[in-house]
Amino acid sequence: MIYFDNAATSRPKPEEVYDAFNYYVREVGTSPGRGSYSLAIQASRMLYQSRKTVARFFGTSDPSCVVFTKNSTEAINLYFNGFLKQGDHVLISPYEHNAVLRPLHSLKLQGLIDYSVLPEKAVYEDPELLRSFIKPNTKLLAITLASNLTGQIVFSQALSREAHELGLTVFVDSSQGAGKGLIDMNQDGIDVLAFTGHKDLFALPGVGGLVSLTPLNIAPLIQGGTGIHGDSYINPAAYPDSYESGTLNMPAIWSLKASLDYINLHNSEMAKTEEALISHLLSQMCKLKNVIMYNVDRTRVPTFCFNIRGMSSSDVVHILDLNGICVRGGIHCAIKAHETIGTVQTGAVRVSLNHFNTIDETDAFLKVIREIS
Amino acid sequence: MYLVFYKTNDVFIAEEILQSNNVSVEIVPTPVQDKAYCGVCIEITSSDNKKAELVLNSMDYTVVE
Repeated sequence: MIYFDNAATSRPKPEEVYDAFNYYVREVGTSPGRGSYSLAIQASRMLYQSRKTVARFFGTSDPSCVVFTKNSTEAINLYFNGFLKQGDHVLISPYEHNAVLRPLHSLKLQGLIDYSVLPEKAVYEDPELLRSFIKPNTKLLAITLASNLTGQIVFSQALSREAHELGLTVFVDSSQGAGKGLIDMNQDGIDVLAFTGHKDLFALPGVGGLVSLTPLNIAPLIQGGTGIHGDSYINPAAYPDSYESGTLNMPAIWSLKASLDYINLHNSEMAKTEEALISHLLSQMCKLKNVIMYNVDRTRVPTFCFNIRGMSSSDVVHILDLNGICVRGGIHCAIKAHETIGTVQTGAVRVSLNHFNTIDETDAFLKVIREIS
Repeated sequence: MYLVFYKTNDVFIAEEILQSNNVSVEIVPTPVQDKAYCGVCIEITSSDNKKAELVLNSMDYTVVE
């Protein structure tokens, strides 16, 4: 079986990740912050170590500014609902995933906020165009690191610099690309970042989070047990605990620590392998006359999407599946991105690789595409 | 003596700082029923108090004898 759906979730995981999960559930198996016996203290210590690893990975220094959630969607909802106030205005890119678009649109429908979608020219050619979209109430630039549909990198230092000059807070959704060594929050001027563990960070599903350069001081998304200050009738002003009501998915969090350690150790060879694979695929796919490729000239993570003239994306996915190749078709939870590249009616076939893939696998894929296109 | 923190995260930040400054520490249940603090705290010997105070100077905690 050939797995080319790593933008949905990475598969396989590094052995270190399976080992970390196994160790946690077998040897620790307790909840952090929920006891003062030694095994619960160890769980709390491992949670702290995980926060520290995440903070360093994204280029921040304070582990208290790392909030764990179940995924990036929850992290984005936590931030938008806590940070945005009545009358605020937000700028987004034309490539946002529904995890960014829908929470904002929901707040808009409630009459709380408004948002504007920047044109591609502002994102890629002339960040100064941001100025023409600024209103007196514009507060936030929310932008994806890389498109989950096309794989192109969307965030840039030029954008964050321009946004800061305009007095905006810069928020990045790193669901795609977080593990590719593309960003450093401090250096790139990212004030707040959402991540998910199970995609290119290689952790188990069930852990994501919010990382900020400075303490957030926003209202929690949910209320409940925090393990501290249990006498209070509402979540205490103790962060990050106050944002993490309920039992944390500590086995997944510990697997995330292991996966980040793995990436830190292997990032150079991972990038080299992925670059070779994606370059090979793109160059060969562009030679096929009945294949429509999208935005191939953009700098990217090892993901791209395509269509074959006269075939639905679901048929292409089915044929590839019959040949033992896993890709995703249809609409990829990113309607703005489909509108931008003109594939709302057709959908698209997405191919997403990682360093565990091989040249032989890409050639097997190309053989099928040549036969059906 | 006990160093009692408001947030669990701070307990482990302080544990690392103290250990890296050669202060022996033990994480133990917070020995007071003060609801304002978290369930675990750091126990150190009284002779390390001054050193702890110096290296943890930017942290928010209370000393309980």
